[in-house]
Amino acid sequence: MLKIYLRLWQVNWSEQWQYRANLLMYLLYWLVSPIVYLIVWITIANSQGSVNGLTANDFVTYYLVLLIVDQLTSDITIHILAYKIQDGTLSGDLLKPIHPILTNTLVNNLAFKALTLMALIPIWILLSLFFRPDFSAVSWSSLLLAVPAVIFGFLISFLLNATITCLAFWTTRVYSISEFYYALVVLFSGQFVRLELMPPLIQQLSQYLPFQLFLYFPIKLILGELPPQLIMRSFIMDVIWLIVAFLLFNWVWREGVKRFSAVGA
Amino acid sequence: MVTDTTVITLQNLSKTYQVPEREGGFGAAVRSFFRRRYRQVQAVQQVSFSLCSGEIVGFLGPNGAGKTTTLKMLSGLLHPTSGTAKVLSYTPWERKADFLRLITLVMGQRNRLAWDIPAIDSFLLNQAIYRISDEDYKRTLKELDDLLELSPIMRKPVRNLSLGERMKCELAAGLLHRPQVLFLDEPTIGLDITAQARIREFLLEYNRRTGATILLTSHYMADVTSLCDRIIIIHHGQLRYDGSLTSLSRRIAPYKLIGVALGEVMDCDLRCYGDLVSTENGDGKQYIQVHAEQVNEITARILQDLPVRDLTIEDPPIEDVIERAFNE
Repeated sequence: MLKIYLRLWQVNWSEQWQYRANLLMYLLYWLVSPIVYLIVWITIANSQGSVNGLTANDFVTYYLVLLIVDQLTSDITIHILAYKIQDGTLSGDLLKPIHPILTNTLVNNLAFKALTLMALIPIWILLSLFFRPDFSAVSWSSLLLAVPAVIFGFLISFLLNATITCLAFWTTRVYSISEFYYALVVLFSGQFVRLELMPPLIQQLSQYLPFQLFLYFPIKLILGELPPQLIMRSFIMDVIWLIVAFLLFNWVWREGVKRFSAVGA
Repeated sequence: MVTDTTVITLQNLSKTYQVPEREGGFGAAVRSFFRRRYRQVQAVQQVSFSLCSGEIVGFLGPNGAGKTTTLKMLSGLLHPTSGTAKVLSYTPWERKADFLRLITLVMGQRNRLAWDIPAIDSFLLNQAIYRISDEDYKRTLKELDDLLELSPIMRKPVRNLSLGERMKCELAAGLLHRPQVLFLDEPTIGLDITAQARIREFLLEYNRRTGATILLTSHYMADVTSLCDRIIIIHHGQLRYDGSLTSLSRRIAPYKLIGVALGEVMDCDLRCYGDLVSTENGDGKQYIQVHAEQVNEITARILQDLPVRDLTIEDPPIEDVIERAFNE
């Protein structure tokens, strides 16, 4: 099994590598909104001294950590998988004696991540030199704890995205459903702004939804802003959502493949 | 190397598709948004047959007859609406890993090779996926290379290959794990005559070496005549014929073609001997079609009556036989 993942990595890595220019453009596009949010909040915080007790540095550190965590936990499953279901090329994958999503699509995601991260790191260093964040609150133990949090976040995000993509077995096209899902992510994950600045209702809801596990929880964990019982609670949510997402995905996949009509190819 | 062991059995296998349907035009497009009309398409209806180990069987029928749908059900891509099938004692659509390691489905389109990288990388991936040992992998790749001449092409990105080259690589990718059952959907489509002949030779050789069972569809009669002793004809989703090619032509087209070239150019009407058929051989012969039982008598009469330079007796072209069988 390890050999399969290794070979999958080689194939996916060299495939992604062919499109590195495209990847770079994607990365630059993706960088725009967090940087805009960052500049807006710094400006507000500087003009008022602080926002709800948050200083300009709190926003700088938040968004700079967000750039890395988002890259680690987000996923591109819909772009890998949806067209395959739509035009029937999934057939080729289904003939192989491995689970196409939990192997190939997963590794494809990881290869994409590795490559974009390579490009992101120099950009990130430049941004740090420019915004001069004070990371004194970050400790080794919080970084270490963030590792499982990021892995959980990615796996849950991956499985939920895969579930949504699998709706293509019924609707053929899923891009609008995926857009809607992404809007929920932006709202509840803390991608737009620190959740503590959101209306109370959204803060309450986000505690039960999986989205804050992708960004808000790992970022706050790294920044050392969470009390132990909240860390514990979030890890429990991680486990629960991972199980739920896996069961959901498994069910949709199984029923979807039954419906798959292998059009064209 | 045909044996008595049954490897593929279909019993009353049926597949009905629900196809959304609408008229052309903007108005119809808007209406179909609110109320979709569906049509039931019975792609495969109550088809039953079985194949023994080592057989090469041609699966024929006009476009839309249900051939590909049947192959997709047998290789586990589609769930049937009703009926049963067993391939190597597995139910295909359960898609057990052990089953998938024993079969292959090769289609005349890309499906097994990663598009942007050389085929050899996909081969290596398949080695891992199908758990092929290093020795077996090397040996099989060497054999495939000998038969298909892969060396010059397998290191180029697949998207830079010609159709024929890609087909060779697709076949190789589909056969690296030495499947016992091969489903081939138009394996020679789009290839030139030489490449077609090569693929055919290769399939015969593969069958001879491994004793694999092959079920293939093709619109090229040369594929069928050179590979298959037995053919199965399906039309409108229903089984029409299952048996040897020779007995099919005896049943469907019990006639022969007599080709006559005359010694002197003379305006002689052959129509009194049989139906004149137009052929485009360009061999200067005129052809008449006569019933198989009358061949001797009519040939004798022609030889007696006319200054014959050359005379041949031929079977009707296989394309005709198949076409008649489709339309029967």
